Amino acid sequence: MPLKNAPAKDYGAIGFLVIASGFLLITPILSTHRVTDFMIFCIFAMSFDLLYGYMGRLSFGHMLFLGTGAYGAGLFIKYINGNPLLAILVGIAVAGLLGMLLGLIIVRTTGACFALINLAFNHIGFFLVLSPLREITRGEDGFGVSASKLGFLNLGSRPIMFGFVLLCLLLVFYFLKRLISSPYGIMIRSIKEDETRVRFLGYNTYLYKWLTFVLAGSIAGLAGALTALNYNYVNPNAMDVNSNVGVVFACLIGGAGNLYGALIGGVTYMIISNFLPIYIHRWEMFLGFSLLIITFRFRKGVWGYFQGVWENIVKKKVIGKPIEEGVADL
Amino acid sequence: MIYTIVYGFSIGAILYFISIGLSLTFGTMRVINFAHTLTYTIGVYALITLVAFLQGYFVLAAILAVFVVIPISYVIERFIIRRLYGESLDYTFIATFAVSLIGVDVIKWIWGVNPYPMKDPIGEYLMFWGLSLPIYRILIVIIAILLFVALNFFFKKTIVGKIVVAALDDKDGVRCLGINVDKYFSIVFILGSALAALGGVLYAPISSIHPYMGLSILLLSFAVVIVGGMGNLKGTFISAFALGMVMSITARYWSQGAETMVFIVMAIVLIFKPIDI
Repeated sequence: MPLKNAPAKDYGAIGFLVIASGFLLITPILSTHRVTDFMIFCIFAMSFDLLYGYMGRLSFGHMLFLGTGAYGAGLFIKYINGNPLLAILVGIAVAGLLGMLLGLIIVRTTGACFALINLAFNHIGFFLVLSPLREITRGEDGFGVSASKLGFLNLGSRPIMFGFVLLCLLLVFYFLKRLISSPYGIMIRSIKEDETRVRFLGYNTYLYKWLTFVLAGSIAGLAGALTALNYNYVNPNAMDVNSNVGVVFACLIGGAGNLYGALIGGVTYMIISNFLPIYIHRWEMFLGFSLLIITFRFRKGVWGYFQGVWENIVKKKVIGKPIEEGVADL
Repeated sequence: MIYTIVYGFSIGAILYFISIGLSLTFGTMRVINFAHTLTYTIGVYALITLVAFLQGYFVLAAILAVFVVIPISYVIERFIIRRLYGESLDYTFIATFAVSLIGVDVIKWIWGVNPYPMKDPIGEYLMFWGLSLPIYRILIVIIAILLFVALNFFFKKTIVGKIVVAALDDKDGVRCLGINVDKYFSIVFILGSALAALGGVLYAPISSIHPYMGLSILLLSFAVVIVGGMGNLKGTFISAFALGMVMSITARYWSQGAETMVFIVMAIVLIFKPIDI
């Protein structure tokens, strides 16, 4: 892990340790297979966070790229070669290519229009996989994926898969962390704040938005390929339009615009969605009400909330009096 | 061929009913109302119950089903949408999506997940020149045209309609005249929801009924609104029928690709006419 390159003031090394030990700690409580699933979802949530949290473009069709990655990797293993690493690369590449093509159209829009167009394309993708491409994808039944062993890298064994996914998660985390603190990251964050001004400064915002869309798509494709390898199975549920709400929920509850928030949100959502339906039958209703509460009362999410509390404590120490009074003095 | 045209017009009419509400709510309130799927579906399920209850008086049941939606849409407007005026579009989208999640779950709770069968309430065919055209579909087209005329009258001649049209253009200007714009917005919202329910009620006998039926029709009518222009009443009318024809002509040659073709048309329109919302 190239820790020494991490920006010093972000406590990069500590962050990695906390993430890795956090996932290792919940493994004995839940099961290895489940936590692997959680981590894959966290990769997906981070890719969504790049698009929504950092660039401010809400997509309601991000599952399309997850599904494309899963189908790309699965079909590659089934028809061409059993090598899992190559399959993952193919999954990323296919999702990225799709992002490049669709991005040309989708990135032109903003706001709710962006969300709905993504949803429409996701709908098309789901439909294509389900019926016109039935001969290749086996429609609703899906198909089995059995990757071959690569020396010691036997992804069929649970602990090795766990380690591999954890490595992928940390790599994606590191990559996004660096990306966001780079000038490019500052650019996409300013696009979120005010795109017109960025355009006035002479930057081609279209290109940056397109690039971010492709990147987010590719990372979602990675998550999809890992899903296919983890379940040894691909079916249209990987591209289900109604699952999009999950990642939106994860991103919002964790706190949009922060990678730690995406991780917390991803784990929270997965715990809720894995265990709550056992106790509460009306699970979609619960999701709906919590989304409403988040939109009206809790917009910063868990991470944003604790960040606010932390900043309050630090500022109180520095100024020596409550912030409200300090502001009033100004 | 004539059957294809009639089919296309009837789909276009249904799309018109649903997209007019979407277009109006966006044009006046700047809200993309995802809960539109919910009002549409509630209308259909209310119709099922009422038809069973009234034992076959389809017209009465249809009218009552549209009226059932009105209080529900008022509640949605009053407690969700009104709190989100002027907010970022993402939050309104998420909030209305959450409303539709809750509503769909309630529908699953009450009526169950299984699809309901429903038969054509008229079931007779108009025979001429050796063709047989279902009267019900022709009736839908006639109702849509009547509705277009009525809405045009409403927006051009009545004071409520004039205020709404003015607010589509300049909301703050209307507010400066001392008019309580929010009240008219809620009228527009309820009108749009009731029309969506009407579309659902009319479409139910010729489509499959299940709790998620609203989603695909919402996406189609969203494509209609994009092609026709947000808040543009005449554009919505024309694009609804044009896209209905696209669907039926595609379905004639490649029956599975009808919906996909609509989105392709939408994508082409977006390439040449990017919209900024």
